[in-house]
Amino acid sequence: MLQVQFIRSNTFRWALAVAAVLAIFIIALFGFIYVKIDHYLIDRSDRMIMTQADFIASLPPEHRPRAIQDHLEQDSRKVQFAGLFDPAGKPLAGNLERVPETLRVNASAQSVKATPNRGEQADPIIRAVGRRLPNGDALVIGRNVDETAEISHVVGEALALGLLPALCLCLLAGAWLSLRAQRRVDEVNQRVQRIIAGDLRERLPHRNVDEPFSRLAVIVNGMLDKMEAMIHALSGVGNDIAHDLRTPLTRARLTLERGRTNARTVEQLQQVVDKAIAGIDQSLAIITSLLRLAEIENSRRSAAFGAVPLHEMLREVCDVYEPIAEDKRVKLSVQIAGELEVRGDRDLLFEAVTNLVDNAIKFTPAGGDVEIGLARGDRQTIVRVSDTGPGIDRGETEAVLRRFYRSDKIRNTPGFGLGLNLVSAIVTLHGFQLVIHPGPGGRVEIICSDRSQD
Amino acid sequence: MTLSVTRHMVSTGVGTRAKDVRAAVEADVMTKVLLIEDDSETAEEITAELTDRGFEVEWSSNGIDGLDKARSLRPDAMIVDRLLPGMDGLTVIEALRNDNDRTPVLVLSALGAVDDRVRGLRMGGDDYLTKPFAVVELIARIEALLRRPVESRETTLRVGSVTLDLIERTATRGERKIDLLPREFRLLEYMMRRSDQLLTRAMLLEEVWNYKFVPATNLVDVHMGRLRHKVDGPDETPMIHNVRGAGFILRSLA
Repeated sequence: MLQVQFIRSNTFRWALAVAAVLAIFIIALFGFIYVKIDHYLIDRSDRMIMTQADFIASLPPEHRPRAIQDHLEQDSRKVQFAGLFDPAGKPLAGNLERVPETLRVNASAQSVKATPNRGEQADPIIRAVGRRLPNGDALVIGRNVDETAEISHVVGEALALGLLPALCLCLLAGAWLSLRAQRRVDEVNQRVQRIIAGDLRERLPHRNVDEPFSRLAVIVNGMLDKMEAMIHALSGVGNDIAHDLRTPLTRARLTLERGRTNARTVEQLQQVVDKAIAGIDQSLAIITSLLRLAEIENSRRSAAFGAVPLHEMLREVCDVYEPIAEDKRVKLSVQIAGELEVRGDRDLLFEAVTNLVDNAIKFTPAGGDVEIGLARGDRQTIVRVSDTGPGIDRGETEAVLRRFYRSDKIRNTPGFGLGLNLVSAIVTLHGFQLVIHPGPGGRVEIICSDRSQD
Repeated sequence: MTLSVTRHMVSTGVGTRAKDVRAAVEADVMTKVLLIEDDSETAEEITAELTDRGFEVEWSSNGIDGLDKARSLRPDAMIVDRLLPGMDGLTVIEALRNDNDRTPVLVLSALGAVDDRVRGLRMGGDDYLTKPFAVVELIARIEALLRRPVESRETTLRVGSVTLDLIERTATRGERKIDLLPREFRLLEYMMRRSDQLLTRAMLLEEVWNYKFVPATNLVDVHMGRLRHKVDGPDETPMIHNVRGAGFILRSLA
């Protein structure tokens, strides 16, 4: 199984392909070198025998045998061939038995079969020129070019020496890389299987950051971190929802049960039913809030964004909430630095600010102040809602953004702890920032930086 | 004050006026409401409630049948569920509107999405109600649809002894001048255009405050409390009435 996988593995196939290409390339290179050297050597030897033939032909007839003799004696490697033949073809001098049959006289150098008179070697193929001399004699000068065969032998050896190790190296590297990749994949697979099986803390292995596999692992691990946090948050929310829904429903159930037994008149029964309906309404309100939160968090409706004049919007919020603040004997005021606009969804931003103001009024004791502020900071527009209430403890500034989180201090105030989540979701949707300052004194800011408006 | 009187007006228990009575006498046919809703239990509840209040209800459980009935029965108003088997609720409405049928339609939906709501209204729905809803809310909205005020060019509204001057932005009750803040004026104007109708908190929030959501605080009650304080003086007959668990009514007759 592993064998099959190994051969099928992409890495190994690539290694094979690379090895083949490399081999073809090396063979072509050596072939090229061989052909070039061969040509060069034959060319040179051809020029030499031509020069020799011309030289001997230019001598007076009586000096020629002697010159041929000298020429052959100087050749220690026994590669030179020469012959002087009378018009009848009888050898006069040199080491050739007869004029080679295929030799064309008075032409350039050509390959022919020579018949040496010493007979110590089989008839070699040589490069030769033939000359018909003025006195009717025939002159043949030749040279054995077996050297080139030696060169090709050397080239072949070099090829074998170079090519085989290179190919082996390629295959080994390919095999090693593919095995390594496969081991990584197997390892990752094992871990992923564990994650699928429910172990959310499992992470992918990574060694150094420069390796692509490790970089991928780091990226995936980052994603897993985020998902783990989200899943934890979600399951926490699930518990909270269950709890928060159960409370009013239990109350409604008890009310109905007791009403059924105890109610004596229609009026009493109606009272019971009213109480039960109130409990059910509260449960429904929680569900509605949750759905709305999900709706905002999932929406990508920046297409509906437009210019929102914050100064006007904040004045309107103040206008709407003034009577409510007054009822609670809380002073609501608005401080606006100027006419400031941001890009966004007016309804949602209105809802966000409304929520903050609502909270501020709710948690500020009678005689306190709530102030809605609009200010311009360093390339940012700030909407600030501050109050003289208890504020949020330093340790709770993050927790309040959790769904259903309700500070112990406010357990007895109505509400279901989703308000700030909603504000946070709206602010995030706009690319703004929600900053909750620790108490005493509530201070929450929505920071609309100019950058996020692009 | 001008009020639109639909073809067949009935006394809805919320107040009777000469005009209503005359209309009811002229055409002694009950107001016909077509309900297109696939959940039979919900449909039964709505039908029972509407019948109790003097409506004649036709029920259809799918879009195709509903569209047929809408064309043949010519109802005075329709309640259409957004998601229906056979044909989507919005498609039904669109088909009717293409036939130039202007029957007021209340869209019901389990989807609370704002975008969905906007789509529902754009397709020709006149009002939109998200499930789950209180029956009283549904009734109030149907009655509001049946009695939609015509776009009048009148510059003063009169209900009982209260007069509203839309140009001068002033309000008086009898001889007494009522000092109103801009939003209180808007609230009173809305209520006077729909006097003797039950106006639920959700309706007021949507129409007067332009809220697309339900705020945590009882905003409407606080504002209404102030308006009532100004409109109904200590020795005057109260005109603004709180209907417990439902909403408010501005009664023209004490």
